[in-house]
Amino acid sequence: MFSTNKTLVAAAVATLFAGSASAMSGSSDGASGEKINGKYAANYEEIIRAADGKYLDAKVIEAILGKDATYGRDGLEGKLDPANPYSFEVEDSIDGGNHGNAQCKIPAAFVEVHDSAKANYYNDSKFVANGFGTPIAESALAKWNIVVDGDGKGLPDPSVGMTVEEGAKIYVQFCGMCHGEFGEGAKGYLPLAVDENLVTSAFDDPAPMKAVGNYWPYATTLFDYIRRTMPFWTPNAPFIGDKGYMGMTGYILQSNYVKLDENGTEIQDDDFFNSEMLMKANKFMKNQGNFFCDHRPVIHNERCMTNCPDAQVGDGKGDIHHYKQARRLPDGTPQYNVPQRMHEDPPGVGHSGM
Amino acid sequence: MTDQIVEKVAVQTEESRNQSRRAFLKGSAAVAGGVLFTKAASAAEGAGYDPKKAVAPYAGKPEITEVLQDGAARKSLGFGVRKYPYGMPSPFEKEVQRRTLEWLTPDSMASITMTPLQSLHGIITPNGLHFERFHGGVPTINPDEHRLVIHGLVERPLIFTMDDLKRFPSISRIHFVECPANGAMEWKGVQLNSVQWTHGMMSCVEYTGVRLSDLLKEAGIKPEGKWIIPEGADAAGLTRSIPIDLAMDDCFVAYAQNGEALRREQGYPIRLVVPGCEANMWVKYLRRIQVHDVPAQHREETSKYTELMPDGTAQRFSWYMEPNSVITYPSPDFKMQGPGKYYVRGLAWSGRGKVAHVDVSFDGGKNWKEAHFTSPVLDKAWTRFEIEWNWDGSEAFLMSRVTDETGYVQPPMPQMRTLEGTNNVYHRTAMVTWRVHAWDDGKNGGMIENVQY
Repeated sequence: MFSTNKTLVAAAVATLFAGSASAMSGSSDGASGEKINGKYAANYEEIIRAADGKYLDAKVIEAILGKDATYGRDGLEGKLDPANPYSFEVEDSIDGGNHGNAQCKIPAAFVEVHDSAKANYYNDSKFVANGFGTPIAESALAKWNIVVDGDGKGLPDPSVGMTVEEGAKIYVQFCGMCHGEFGEGAKGYLPLAVDENLVTSAFDDPAPMKAVGNYWPYATTLFDYIRRTMPFWTPNAPFIGDKGYMGMTGYILQSNYVKLDENGTEIQDDDFFNSEMLMKANKFMKNQGNFFCDHRPVIHNERCMTNCPDAQVGDGKGDIHHYKQARRLPDGTPQYNVPQRMHEDPPGVGHSGM
Repeated sequence: MTDQIVEKVAVQTEESRNQSRRAFLKGSAAVAGGVLFTKAASAAEGAGYDPKKAVAPYAGKPEITEVLQDGAARKSLGFGVRKYPYGMPSPFEKEVQRRTLEWLTPDSMASITMTPLQSLHGIITPNGLHFERFHGGVPTINPDEHRLVIHGLVERPLIFTMDDLKRFPSISRIHFVECPANGAMEWKGVQLNSVQWTHGMMSCVEYTGVRLSDLLKEAGIKPEGKWIIPEGADAAGLTRSIPIDLAMDDCFVAYAQNGEALRREQGYPIRLVVPGCEANMWVKYLRRIQVHDVPAQHREETSKYTELMPDGTAQRFSWYMEPNSVITYPSPDFKMQGPGKYYVRGLAWSGRGKVAHVDVSFDGGKNWKEAHFTSPVLDKAWTRFEIEWNWDGSEAFLMSRVTDETGYVQPPMPQMRTLEGTNNVYHRTAMVTWRVHAWDDGKNGGMIENVQY
C-alpha cells in the first residue's frame, strides 16, 4: 500500500482547500461511466479510445473517475490510490519498511504510451539482435558503477567508514568553503542543514529552504551524490575515497539531526559511520513519507471561447485589471531583477534554487 | 511604388506625424501608419479618410529614404567563399544571444542560459542559440574515446563505441526540450520583462540517433529490470531513474542535432532524448545505462526536480512537461507601432503529443479566438501559431491557451496557484499575460508589459 503518512497529509489538505478547487474547475455535469469498487470505470480504455484517445479531456476523465475524484485537491487525493487509472502510484513498498512508496509508474490511462511500449518492446516478437557492440563483464565496470539506490544497493562494505569526527574534518577541509562549516551555506551556495517548516499558509510566504534533514527522503542519496559530484572541482576524489565520503555523509546527517531509531538516538562524534549506520538513518529521514508521485494534471478545464466563467478570467474572479507587475527602474522602465539591480536584495530568486 | 514613397515622405514632417497621432487618439482613424501605401488606405476612405492628408510614420526621417540609392553592398564586391569555413550569422544579428541571469546561480559551471525566443522564427532553434544547463561545466570529450555501456539487469552487458552506435538504424525527430524550471522565477509574481527570461529555458531542434528500445533489446532486459538509470560522463555524472515503459515509448540516444553533431553544450558526443519529458532526464555525455529493479532515488529526483506543495508534501517523478504556450510577438521586447493590424504569433507545445488548438484572448481571458498554425504540427514539438488582430489603441491583455491532442486545456495562473501554491519551483506552465499599454498612455504608450493575474 502507499504511505499512510502522505495519505493523512493529503486528506488534511483536501479539507484545507475544500471548495476552492471544485469551484475553479469550470466543468459541467458529465455522465459517469461504469465503475469498479464504486469508484473507477473498468472500461476506461474503451472510453478513452472512443473519445479519439483524448485521455485528459475533462468529460472523458469525469466519465471514468466520476465527478468527485476528478478535479483539484479531491482529484489529487483520488490519484493516491494505485487502482485509479490516472494514478502514477505503484502498489508496492520496496523494502517493506518505513521509507514510503518509492515506485511510480506511467498511469494506465495514458494509453498511447503503453501502446507504443508494447509495439517497441513487450509485443515485439520480430526483433533480431544486430550484434553490434562488445560484450563486457560487470567486473570490468567497477570504476564506473557508482550508483547507490534508495535500498542501499551499491553501498561499500560495512568495513569502509570512519568516525563522524574524522568525517567532519574532511568536510571542513573540502566542503566548508562553499557549504559552511556546519552546513549553513556560503558564497551564494545553499545550506545543507536547516530545519524550516515546509508548510506555507499564504502564497506570499517566503519559500521554505529545503535541505537534507527537512526535505530529502533518502540518506542513501547523500552518499551517492557527494561521491558522484563533490568536491565540485574534482568529483569522486581518490584522496577522499569511499571511507572519507562515508564519514562526511555521517557528519552531514548529524548536522541535520537525523535519528537512527525510534528512540531518537542521534549520531555521535565517535560513531564509526558506515553503510549499516547509513541504512539505519535511511529509515528515519523525517520527510520521507511526504512525497507522492506526480499527479498532474489536476486541472481539467473545458475549452471556453466566449464569456468565460469568472474563475477563468483575469484574477480568477473576473477582474482583468487586478494584476501583479514587475518592479521598475527609477525612470519607469520595466525591467527584470529590479531589487537586485538596485542593490536592495541579495542575489536569489525567492526560492531555494533549481 | 518607389516614387510614390519618396513623394509622400518628402511632404511629411514631424509635425504632421504628430497630427496623425492626435487623430488616432481621438479615435477618428484606426489606421496604422504602416498600411497607408497599400490598399488598406483606400479601404479606410469610407471611414472619412482623406488621402490628401495622408501621413506616414517616420515622416521626415531621412534614414528611411536615404538608402534608396546604390550603397556599398551594391558598389563593391563582397567576401569570397570559405571566408568562414563554418558560417556565422550576420554581425547585425549580434544581439540575438543566449543570456543568463547572474543571480540565479552562484557560478557559471552549474548554471543556465535562456534561448532568445523573441528573435526566433518557425520552430527550429539554431544550434548556437540552444539553451544551456550544466551541473558541472561542459566537458570536451573525444568521441573516439567515448563509450556507452548498457548493463545491470540485462542478459548481455554491452559496450558501444560511437562507430557501433552509428551502425544501428537511425531516426530523426523534431522535439522540444524544456527545463522544468522554465518560468520558475514567476511563481509569486512577475519580475522579468522578456520572453527570453520567462520561457527561454527551452529549445526545439531535430535530433538524429538510435532508438533506445533497439539498444535495450540488443542487451536483452531481464524480467526484473523495471527501470533504467542513465548517467553522464561529465563532472556532474548526472543520473535520473526512468521506468521501462517510458524508455520503450519513444526515447532515443541522439548523436546529432539540426543535421550536425551535437554541440558540447548539449551533450557531445551523445545524449539521451526523452521526448516530452523534463530536460534533466535527457542525460548528456551519456556513458552508462544501468538497468535496475527500483528507481535510484538520486539527487535530481528527490532533493531537486520535486515540487513542494503548500501542505508540505512534494510531487516526485514529475516526468511530463505540461502543454504550454506563449505569444512571442508582440511581447515585452517589442513596442507597438501604433493602432492597426497586427499578426500576433507565438509558440505552443505539449509533452504529451501534438498541439490541437491554440486560442488567443485580448481581454484577459474573457473571450477567445482560435489561431491558425503556420508551421508543421509535430509530436512533442514547438508549433508556431498566428492570429490577426486589429488593435484599436486601447489597453489590452494578451494571453494564449493551448489545447493538446489529449484534450488538456492550459489553465490560467490563479487556478494553478490555488492548487499548487507558489513554492513548486518547477512546472509553472499556466498562461502568462502581456499587458499592452494604451497608445495614449503617455511615454509608455504602446509598451508591452509582463503582468500576472
